Amino acid sequence: MRNHRRRGLTALATIASLASVSLLAAACGSDEDTKSDGKTTITVEGWRPGDEQGTIDAVKKQADAFMKDHPDIVVKPIEWEWNAETFSTQLAGNQLPTTFRVPFTDTKGLAERQQIADVTQYVNELPYAEDFNPSVLAAAQGTDGKIYGLPTDVYGVGLHYNRDLFEQAGLDPDSPPTTWDEVRSDAQAIADKTGKAGYAQMSTNNTGGWMLTTLTYALGGRMESDDGATATIDNDATAQGLQMLHDMRWTDESMGKNTNYEWAPINEAFAAGKVGMYMSGSDVYNALVTTNQVDPDSYGLAVLPLSDSPDAGILGGGSVAAVSAKATPAEQEAAVQWNDFYREAKNYDPDRAVADAEVLKASDQPIGTPTLPIFDETTWQSVQDAIKPYVNVPLDQMTSFTDGVFDQTLVPEPPAHTQEVYGILDSVVQKVLTDENADIDSLLSDANDQAQALLG
Amino acid sequence: MSTLVQHTPDVQPEPEPELSGPLPRRRRRRRAAGETRTITSAFERRRPGVRIGRTIVNGGLLVFLLIACLGPILWLAKSAITPTQDTLRYPLALWPHGTDWENLRTAWVEIDLKLYFWNTVVIAIGSWAVQMLVAVTGGYALAILRPRGSRILYGLVLATMFVPAVVLLVPLYLTVLDLPFTHWNLVNTYWGAFLPAGASAFNVALVKRFFDNLPREVIDAARVDGCGDFRLFWHIVLPMSRPVLGVVSVFAVLAAWKDFVWPLVVLPDPAKQPLSVRLPRLAAVTELDVVLAALLISCALPIAFFLVFQRLFLRGGLEGAVKG
Amino acid sequence: MTALLARLPRLPERLGRSLGPLVFLLPMLLVFGLFSWWPIVRSFVMSVQQTNMVTPATYVGLDNFRAVLDDPLLTTAVQNTAWFAVLALVIGYPVPLILAVVMSDVRRARGLYSLLAYLPVVVPPAVAVLLWRFFYDAEPTGVFNTILGWFGLGPVPWLEDASWAMPSLVLEATWAAAGGTVIIYLAALVSVPPELYDAAEADGAGILAKVWHVTLPHLRSIMLITLILQIIGTSQVFLEPYLFTDGGPDNATLTVLLLVYNYAFANTTGGDYGKATALSLMLAAALALMSVVYFRVTRSWSE
Repeated sequence: MRNHRRRGLTALATIASLASVSLLAAACGSDEDTKSDGKTTITVEGWRPGDEQGTIDAVKKQADAFMKDHPDIVVKPIEWEWNAETFSTQLAGNQLPTTFRVPFTDTKGLAERQQIADVTQYVNELPYAEDFNPSVLAAAQGTDGKIYGLPTDVYGVGLHYNRDLFEQAGLDPDSPPTTWDEVRSDAQAIADKTGKAGYAQMSTNNTGGWMLTTLTYALGGRMESDDGATATIDNDATAQGLQMLHDMRWTDESMGKNTNYEWAPINEAFAAGKVGMYMSGSDVYNALVTTNQVDPDSYGLAVLPLSDSPDAGILGGGSVAAVSAKATPAEQEAAVQWNDFYREAKNYDPDRAVADAEVLKASDQPIGTPTLPIFDETTWQSVQDAIKPYVNVPLDQMTSFTDGVFDQTLVPEPPAHTQEVYGILDSVVQKVLTDENADIDSLLSDANDQAQALLG
Repeated sequence: MSTLVQHTPDVQPEPEPELSGPLPRRRRRRRAAGETRTITSAFERRRPGVRIGRTIVNGGLLVFLLIACLGPILWLAKSAITPTQDTLRYPLALWPHGTDWENLRTAWVEIDLKLYFWNTVVIAIGSWAVQMLVAVTGGYALAILRPRGSRILYGLVLATMFVPAVVLLVPLYLTVLDLPFTHWNLVNTYWGAFLPAGASAFNVALVKRFFDNLPREVIDAARVDGCGDFRLFWHIVLPMSRPVLGVVSVFAVLAAWKDFVWPLVVLPDPAKQPLSVRLPRLAAVTELDVVLAALLISCALPIAFFLVFQRLFLRGGLEGAVKG
Repeated sequence: MTALLARLPRLPERLGRSLGPLVFLLPMLLVFGLFSWWPIVRSFVMSVQQTNMVTPATYVGLDNFRAVLDDPLLTTAVQNTAWFAVLALVIGYPVPLILAVVMSDVRRARGLYSLLAYLPVVVPPAVAVLLWRFFYDAEPTGVFNTILGWFGLGPVPWLEDASWAMPSLVLEATWAAAGGTVIIYLAALVSVPPELYDAAEADGAGILAKVWHVTLPHLRSIMLITLILQIIGTSQVFLEPYLFTDGGPDNATLTVLLLVYNYAFANTTGGDYGKATALSLMLAAALALMSVVYFRVTRSWSE
């Protein structure tokens, strides 16, 4: 009996393995057809990993509304987040959504390598094609002047701070720091009183370079010449910024002992109340709410302090809704129409902005997070006025930013090999934050040589 | 991919005394008294100094193993049901403000761990099935049927053992992307995870060596009785192979559960990813207590699996890999 | 003639016999062919090509190899990998040996000892790394720093410092892998001929002398093999630096395989598969050299 059962087990194992392999043909043969019954199916960037259900529902609702207007298009929103690490494999593996957003910094490179599609003709059909702020549209154009997507959101970097920690440290949460010296002393107060990191800065996965560049701009320096031919990393402003980070980290000990941060982890740390202040795009509040469930009452947003230098400005960036190079013309057109519907028209047409806000409101999503104009300032203002009744983000805790940002110069990111230069700068930031005896001048001169080698 | 030394077991058929060649290494020498001899002698152990010394050393070792090996897992179990703030402030305290069992539910439901858990189960079962099929049929052909050229073939199989897995990462990815002849794209399908797992030279070597040591006269007798290749396989060889199938199985399942790099590359779609790949991503955007609950859930099954099949895991030996 | 006739009815069986081997070899041939042999061949081809996955690949000769050798990060990566290997030898190599020798003399509940020692091996590496990343919190309130604090030590910056980061990775890797090696040693220890101990005792050897003169010499060959296996394994370290530190801080934990991965998958300028395969092949050549040593040792051991 026992022997019989044993044999049965062994046989079962073999049968199972045989059966599963014979399924292979079936599984692989049934490739999904994107053009069944004459409809064009596109997959679109829907939500970020970790987003709450409300966010997902809102996107799906929008997709349903879009499909009602465009009965010949099927829209499938999926989870997606821009990640340089997986982009080329996803492209090669045909796993990209038809349309997705990429940072301003990456559009030109992707266009040059023909990894995203030229959608000039479809963009030009849109009613506002002529009205883009030219410097914003430039971010969506390749070096050949063609348009590779819609610039859908523009941010300026702001200083995000935790109002609760400010209060606990005896600081006034309604008067955030206006100079870097104040940032430093406030950070120290927070660290001393609460034991949390008073100030934190991103340092890994190219965000270290991104934020060091931001700090450099705020202090009046630049990382590259305007034509992108010369690296200017070893400038005084960068050295000054690094020295400040060094002193906060090692002398004041106001940055905590964990410095290994990039975009998502620093958001998580901030939302968890572990960080007093940090720099990030002005629109990061959306992610703080939908992904990290930040307490709105504790959130504050200030303009970035600028030095007296006439060149001081805030780093501005944004994203372009691009279309996969592998999409067919019909899919490209559908993708641009979807991006118009879902992402762009609300920045232009007050009625569409209201319609969008209605959907967001129904799903309890943040409305009114500060952004910067994609068209002209009047258009932007009329949209802001239209959605005013729907605003549910604590705008009165962001007045420092919203009042001050239009007085600041918006400086675009370094023009050439942006992400690689950021990668080189990552090491510099990490070195300063992890080695008390780092030699800032020699680090910068080395980094400059490496960057110059890239720029040629 | 183990960073240090991979534990590689070896399995042999129970040697029948008159048939087995020299296999002394595997067999415990038994003393007349039926007692296994170790470093210390019975005489030494009776001496008070040695007795106390051994008690201290062995007891100390047990405490060390409990703290170092079990400790982190117990800590994880504790922290999985502790609110975040308590874990951050008093990482080593035992529930200063009570427990929070909700974490486990949040991890399972809210961050959708159940999906990734079942993905991992599917990948483990599929990889196991493919590995079994390849190893058992291949081992049978190489050890028993021995067609012409099988020595060379075996050599080619073994040679792959020395090509590091990650060296193949890129070309393997491109192969899976566009399979030769058929042009199937296996990226984002579980076949992309199952099939490459089957190319395990270690499994083939293990099974072949086991079959090599099966009593030859049983097979010859079956042949004389007119037993064909298939019947020989099904009715004679497989029923005798339970030990080796067990060992290959437990290691195949565990390896699939642990694998990280390959699924990271071949399954970019989050909805298809296994726990290993998904956890680091989720950890960056999820509150700490839920992350820890997720980690606990992720290692619960392999640990249970290990406890059930511990005999198969803990039978030692390196001969399979070495002689192979 | 009659013999031939007698065989006739068994013709199908003979046919089956010539087909049989092929049928049984088929799964192995297919799986190894597609997912092992073909990619190996392919990596040689790709190492002399340039491709961006969209346009067709072009032949570039040895440019990829030259580009890799010119990369200033290569030296860093090789040094870091060697440093990891050395640390793993110093920290990771003796641990399982000592554990196994002591455990082999445990007389009661030895199964419990091996069970405990092996437990970390079954924890998925990604889980282990995420857990240890929390243990390695550099704040004084971190788990390890709290424990060190009880003894008046620390706080240690663990992953937050270029010189501490690598030892921290090795410590975790040792925790995760030692159990497997313990089992290997234990199995070998069972076969120490008892006569040798008896003889040593007759010569008046104490316990430590027996370990030194009998136990360890008996393990010598298997120790050499685990040593080489470990060196080969540590040359390919990827998961720990990738998940713990992503090569940081300041490239202090950038290893050769992490560099391969970065060339292929993390490069924001699009995957440089040519450079990735070129570096892979260089690494494989180094490992092949070690494998030759391995084979030699193996042979002398199994004779």
